[in-house]
Amino acid sequence: MSDDSEEFRSGSEDEEMSDYGASDADMDVEDDDDDYGFAGAEEVSTVPKVPYKVLPKEDLNKQREKALREVMDVLGIDEDTAMRVLRKYKWDSSRVQEEWFSKYDQVRESLGLVDEPGPSGRAACEAEERCFICFDSFPVRDMRSAACRHYFCKDCWRGYITQALSSGPACLDLRCPSTECKQKACVPCALVMELASGEEQSKYSTYMVRSFVEDNSSMCWCTGKNCENAIQCLVDRGPDEAMDVICSCSATFCFNCKEEAHRPVSCKTVKTWLTKNSAESENMNWILANTKPCPKCSRPIEKNQGCMHMTCSQCRFEFCWLCQGDWKEHGERTGGFYACNRFETAKKKGEYDDESRRRENAKASLERYMHYFERFDAHSKAREKARLDASKVSKDWLEQLADITKTPTSQLKFINEAWNQIVECRRMLKWTYAYGYYAFEDADRNSEVARHKGFFEFLQGDAERSLERLHEAAEKDLGAHVTKARNQADGGFDADAFQTFRKNLIGLTDVTAGFFDKLVKQLEKGFSSMEADYAGQVDDGAGPSGVNEGGEQAAGAAGGPAATGTTGHKGRRSKKARGVDEDVVLLGEQGFWTCNKCTYNNQDLTARRCEVCNEARAGPGGGAGNRR
Amino acid sequence: MNPDQAAQAAQLPRRIIKETQKLLSEPAPGISASPSEENLRYFNVMILGPQQSPYEGGVFKLELFLPEDYPMAPPKVRFLTKIYHPNIDKLGRICLDILKDKWSPALQIRTVLLSIQALLSAPNPDDPLAEHVAKHWKENEKEAIATARQWTAMHAQG
Repeated sequence: MSDDSEEFRSGSEDEEMSDYGASDADMDVEDDDDDYGFAGAEEVSTVPKVPYKVLPKEDLNKQREKALREVMDVLGIDEDTAMRVLRKYKWDSSRVQEEWFSKYDQVRESLGLVDEPGPSGRAACEAEERCFICFDSFPVRDMRSAACRHYFCKDCWRGYITQALSSGPACLDLRCPSTECKQKACVPCALVMELASGEEQSKYSTYMVRSFVEDNSSMCWCTGKNCENAIQCLVDRGPDEAMDVICSCSATFCFNCKEEAHRPVSCKTVKTWLTKNSAESENMNWILANTKPCPKCSRPIEKNQGCMHMTCSQCRFEFCWLCQGDWKEHGERTGGFYACNRFETAKKKGEYDDESRRRENAKASLERYMHYFERFDAHSKAREKARLDASKVSKDWLEQLADITKTPTSQLKFINEAWNQIVECRRMLKWTYAYGYYAFEDADRNSEVARHKGFFEFLQGDAERSLERLHEAAEKDLGAHVTKARNQADGGFDADAFQTFRKNLIGLTDVTAGFFDKLVKQLEKGFSSMEADYAGQVDDGAGPSGVNEGGEQAAGAAGGPAATGTTGHKGRRSKKARGVDEDVVLLGEQGFWTCNKCTYNNQDLTARRCEVCNEARAGPGGGAGNRR
Repeated sequence: MNPDQAAQAAQLPRRIIKETQKLLSEPAPGISASPSEENLRYFNVMILGPQQSPYEGGVFKLELFLPEDYPMAPPKVRFLTKIYHPNIDKLGRICLDILKDKWSPALQIRTVLLSIQALLSAPNPDDPLAEHVAKHWKENEKEAIATARQWTAMHAQG
C-alpha cells in the first residue's frame, strides 16, 4: 500500500466529498488540527439535512390531526368531510383548497357528499316501511340512511358494513347501497361507527390512520420488521425518483420503490436486476449454453469431462457429442475420440452454425451475468456480515476499549463511523454492479460505451480498493488492538500505537467516503457528458482539436495513473491545462506510466509497449498520437 | 311444494323466498329462473339470445347460486352452454362488474340476469376474460361475430 499517502492527500482535496457516511463535524478530534493531513476536513459542512423525517406513531397522529384541522378550518367542514376530500387529493392540503374552492360542486359530487334536505322527522315515526335489501318491513324510526334518504334496516346496514370492512381500506369510501341512488351518497362515518361491532370500529379507525400514510404521496411506512414509524418526504420528488431513507429503527430503504436503499442506481434498474436474479430464465440460459439434448430421449446432458463418446445416463444411448450421431458410426475412421470429422465437414457446410452460435451467445451472456452477479452477491453478503460486526463492535468492544484506553466512548465514535461507512459503501458498491450490468451492454460494439465502461470500472475499482483497506483496518487492526490490550490487562496499553491506528482509520474512512462520493456522483450524472467535460479541460490548453482529443484523454484518465483519477477536479484541471508536453515531465516525476489496457504501472518510461500485456502505449511517447 | 322443500324454505331468508316467488310469477322477458328441488339456493337459468345479436335464436343455460352471505355478497353465476363471447371464458365464467366489486345488496337475481342478457347484446372486448376471443373481436369483428353465430347454432340450439 505504497500509495496510501497519495490517496490521503487527494481525498482531502476533494471538496465535495462525504455527503453521507462519515461526518467530519462529529469526528471531534480534540488534539491537533492538522491531523492526518486533512486540512480540508474542516471546510466540509456537517451532514446535510436529510430530505425526510421519521415519524413515530404519536408524531404521526399529531401530523394527521393537524392536517385535518387545517382543512376543516379553512373549508369550514366537519371532520368526516375533511377526511374524504383529503383522501381524494392524497392529503395535499393546498390542492384540496384549490380544488374545493374552484370546483366546489364537482368535488362534492365525486365524493358523494349530499345535502340533507332538512330534518326528516322520522325519528319518532311509528309507521312501517320496507327494507329493499331483506324485503322485510320495519318501523321507520328503526331504519337508517345516508344523506340521500334511501332507508334500509339496521341489520342490512350492519351486513353491508361488515362486508365492506372485510374487503379492505376501500370501505372508507362506502356508498349508499341503493341502486336508485343516483348521487351515490357516501355513508357517513357516524353511521358506520353506530352499527359496527367494537372490533370493526377499531379496524375502521385503523384504516383512517393508515390512509394518512398510504394515500399520501409524501409518506410511506418504514419497511423495517415490527417498525411502526412512518417516513415523511420533505422535498418535491420527481416521479419514480429514488430516495434513500434511514429509519430510526436503522432500516434503510428506498422511499420510492421500498426496496433496499440503492443509491446511485435507479429504481428501474434495481427492479429489473432483482427480477433477473430471481428468474428461472438464467437457469434455462445455463442449460441452453452448457447442455445438449440426448438425441434419443431429449433429456439435457452436460458434458463435464472426457471424450466425445457420450452415453446418456437415462436411456443408455451412445452418441457423439459433436455431431450427435450414433456412436456406432464413429471411432478411428471419423477422427478418433476427441474429434469428429463428420461434424467438421457439416460445420463447413454451415449445417451446425446456427445452433452453435446460439449456444456461444447464450454462454457469453451467461458468463457476463455471472460476473456481475457474483460480485453483487459477494458485496451483499459482505454487507450483511459487516452489519452484524458493526453492531457487535458498538455493543461489546467499544466499552471495553473505553475502559482500556481510559477515554470516553464519545471519543471512540470514529470506530462506529468507520463501520457505518463500511456497511454503507458495501451497499452502494453492490448496486453499482447492477448498474454496470445494464449500462454497458454495448461495450463490445460501441467504442464510446467501452470508454465509459472503462472509466466506470476505474472509479469502481478505486472505491472498491479503498473500501477493502478500510474494512481490513476496521476488522483486523481493531481486533488486534482489542486482543492485545486485553492480554496486557492494565498499564500495558500502547497508547501511541492506538493513536496511529485511530489516525489511520479516520483517514481511511474519509478517503473511502471521497471515492464513493465521486463514483455515486458520476453514476447519477451519467457518462454521456463525460466527453464534454474532458474536452472542455483540454480546450483550455490544446486548442480547437479538443473534442476528439478529449475522448482520448478521457480514456487515458480512465486507465491512467492513479494520481489522475484520485486528485480532486481542480488538480486535474490545472494539470491538463498545462498541455501535453508537460505531461511527459509529470510522468517522469511520477516514475512510471500506466497501461491503458491492463493498468500495470510500467517503470520503463521509454517503453512503447506495456511490459505485461504488450498493448501499445497511449498518450505522450506512445502510439496514441499517431493513431488518429 | 313438497315437505322437503318446505323445510328448506323455512330456513331461507325471507328475501330469497320473495325473490324466488317473484321470478316465478313475473319472469323477465327472455329469462327463466327456477330453483332446484334439492337446493333452493341453486337456480337453473335459461336466457334467450337477444335479437340482433349473434346469439339470437339460441337458448343458453346457466347456473346461479346464492351464497350464504347473499345478498351482502353477490350470487355466483356461470354459463353451462358453450358460448363464443369476449367476456365469458370457456368454463362459462362471466366478467361482469356487478358480480364482483360493483355488487350492491340492493341488486337482485333479476337485475343480475338482465345485466347478463344485456352483456350478450353488447360484448365488451376491452375488458376481456377470454383473451383470444377478445383479440379476435377487436381485430376482425365481422369474423368473430360469424364464429359466435356458428357456436350458437352448434351448442345453443335443439
